[in-house]
Amino acid sequence: MSGENAVILSVRGLKVRAGPRLILDGLSLEIRAGEVHAIMGPNGSGKSTLAGVLAGRPGLEVLEGSVTYLGEDLLAMPPELRARAGVFLAFQYPVEIPGVNNVYLLKAAFNAVRRHRGEPELDAFEFLGLVRGKLRQMQMSEDLLNRGVNEGFSGGEKKRNEILQMSLLEPKLALLDETDSGLDIDALRIVAEGVNALRSPERAIVMVTHYQRLLDYVVPDQVHVLAGGRIVHSGGRELALELERRGYDWLRPGTAAA
Amino acid sequence: MNAGTILERMAASHQAQAGRFAAGAPWARRRSRALARLLERGLPGRRDENWRYLDHAAIAALSFAPAPGAHVDPARLAPLLLPLPGAMRLTLIDGEFAPGLSTSGSDGVRIDDLAVLLAGDSAPELESLREPADDVDDRFALLAEAFAPGGARIRVAAGAVPAQTLYLLHVGSAAAAGMSHARLVIEVAAGATLTLVEHFVSLGQAPALSNLAADLRLGDGATLRHVRLHAQTAPVAHLETWNAELQAGSRYEQLLLVLGGQLVRSGLRLMLAGREAEARLAGLFMVDGDCQADLYTRIEHAAPMTRVAQNYRGIAAGRGQGAFNGRIIVQPSARGADAAQSSRNLLLSPQAVINARPQLEILTDDVQCRHGATIGTLDPNQFFYLLSRGIAPDAARALLTRAFCEDILAALPVPGLRAPVEELVVGRLPDRDLIRRLA
Ligand SMILES: Nc1ncnc2c1ncn2[C@@H]1O[C@H](COP(=O)(O)OP(=O)(O)OP(=O)(O)O)[C@@H](O)[C@H]1O
Ligand SMILES: [Mg+2]
Repeated sequence: MSGENAVILSVRGLKVRAGPRLILDGLSLEIRAGEVHAIMGPNGSGKSTLAGVLAGRPGLEVLEGSVTYLGEDLLAMPPELRARAGVFLAFQYPVEIPGVNNVYLLKAAFNAVRRHRGEPELDAFEFLGLVRGKLRQMQMSEDLLNRGVNEGFSGGEKKRNEILQMSLLEPKLALLDETDSGLDIDALRIVAEGVNALRSPERAIVMVTHYQRLLDYVVPDQVHVLAGGRIVHSGGRELALELERRGYDWLRPGTAAA
Repeated sequence: MNAGTILERMAASHQAQAGRFAAGAPWARRRSRALARLLERGLPGRRDENWRYLDHAAIAALSFAPAPGAHVDPARLAPLLLPLPGAMRLTLIDGEFAPGLSTSGSDGVRIDDLAVLLAGDSAPELESLREPADDVDDRFALLAEAFAPGGARIRVAAGAVPAQTLYLLHVGSAAAAGMSHARLVIEVAAGATLTLVEHFVSLGQAPALSNLAADLRLGDGATLRHVRLHAQTAPVAHLETWNAELQAGSRYEQLLLVLGGQLVRSGLRLMLAGREAEARLAGLFMVDGDCQADLYTRIEHAAPMTRVAQNYRGIAAGRGQGAFNGRIIVQPSARGADAAQSSRNLLLSPQAVINARPQLEILTDDVQCRHGATIGTLDPNQFFYLLSRGIAPDAARALLTRAFCEDILAALPVPGLRAPVEELVVGRLPDRDLIRRLA
């Protein structure tokens, strides 16, 4: 389905440093509307760094390269504007914020995005109706709404809460950083349904994952392997199965591809 | 300017108006004895270990003329009052009992004007007024012993459980610079329960000085829920020295909110004297501009199975200065004691300063003790998480700062106070306008 669809994200020759270390070393990646890409790769290879730099995480220094999002220089935008413009990062480790009410954050985020799009804000009553529907889809208990953001949520509840936020905010570019890790089998299916529901010809989805199992539910258009700070190999759905069998060693830079 | 000269200036200006403070002979004798002890020992200074964070120069710069003892028009107070409908009322104006603004006690609560109670020639009641100790931490209480014209005594009879809250309002007229002193005695007898809301307000805008010496005694099995709200809008300096003694099975819950004044020094010495006595102390101070809050607590476990839980938060913005200095002593006799202390502090500007100093002195093995003190800025991960959801940076900062106070405010035992206290807290935050809009 690639080819004529609009480019949502274009990363070119990206070099990123975190602390003293060069983490991304000339990474390039292009994603078009309607596509789902999976990014796999060994621990510490820079997958979260890539997701973070796209969302605007502080502490990551871009040394070289460019990132274009819907034709605009993404790196020049502050994080909150990226979010309002439709970039959504589902965190690998969702942050607990005791004292900030979960439903309050959902509503504030939702209205910030709506304002940006020039759409009317919803009042408290309408919003609650909307959020309750999403909660049911995610099979989340209503009392999670009135807790602090992610406060005391189980690992799986945190991941579902990320997908709940995503489905409320309807991003153009969703970055899911290991949203499948730590989920039980039912939760994996629910989360996958949430992702599939978002799948549409106008959106793009990037899923960072270690397990091909998620890809059974959300079938990607492309699978990439990130190692040594760049995409070292790309392929279709079957690449994930091959990685599961063979591991990453055969793809490491300097190793001849089989 | 050293402490000696401050004290001499205080004594001189006080002496000049001594005629204002008529009192019975026994009390007068105690006053002059206190003054002599004071002049000999001086006021605390930076070298005294529990006074090192206090801005002594700011105190020295104040006027020590006695406060004018203004007659306050109740209409001016009305807008400042907390919504405590039906509460028993006790009002002190510049430290003096205001009969017109106080109700008589009911349901086993007795409220007395100390100036009246102790005026007699032989005053056995004088014994309920503790004579301050010699040590430096009690020195401002000694100052109050020498200078205070009166104050109030609250007594709750054994077994009494009054239905109504007692609302104790401290009004600083702050009409002119000057100092005032007050004594307060609170006695909750065995098995009795009281909810007390103490509220400090100011009317004028003068840099007045107020000094309170308070004694608190809880009998066996007594309970006191105590909210203490400092909400002075004038640039006043307020010092207070609390001495509390808890008998067996008694329970003291205190929530201290320092949300006003130019300088607030609050000292509490609490003795867990009886088996299974328990104190739960929470506090929040917020300082901005060049305000200062200095909280000192000294808690002594002197009986078996005594428990204390302290949970304090501090926020400093601008060039604000805050300190929490909390000492816990567990005596050998306090087998099975349980002590938990937490002090978490937030710096919102590079010029703000907070000192946190937990001090534990454990003299028995049979004790559970936990403590922690942190001083930091807003959590960058939480901050980024909010931004990544489209929240503006100033709103994210406001939300996180407000969130930092949440579990202290959640501990408010009197439901009607939540909204006004919330408003005071927000009013002290740098992003106050934004938070109000977000709410
Ligand atoms: N601030 C930093 N200072 C130094 N090293 C850092 C910093 N931030 C990240 N790193 C390192 O960069 C590397 C890449 O981290 P990243 O989180 O992107 O890996 P990942 O591919 O997401 O790994 P995982 O699969 O374990 O989630 C890691 O080795 C990490 O320790
Ligand atoms: Mg990662």
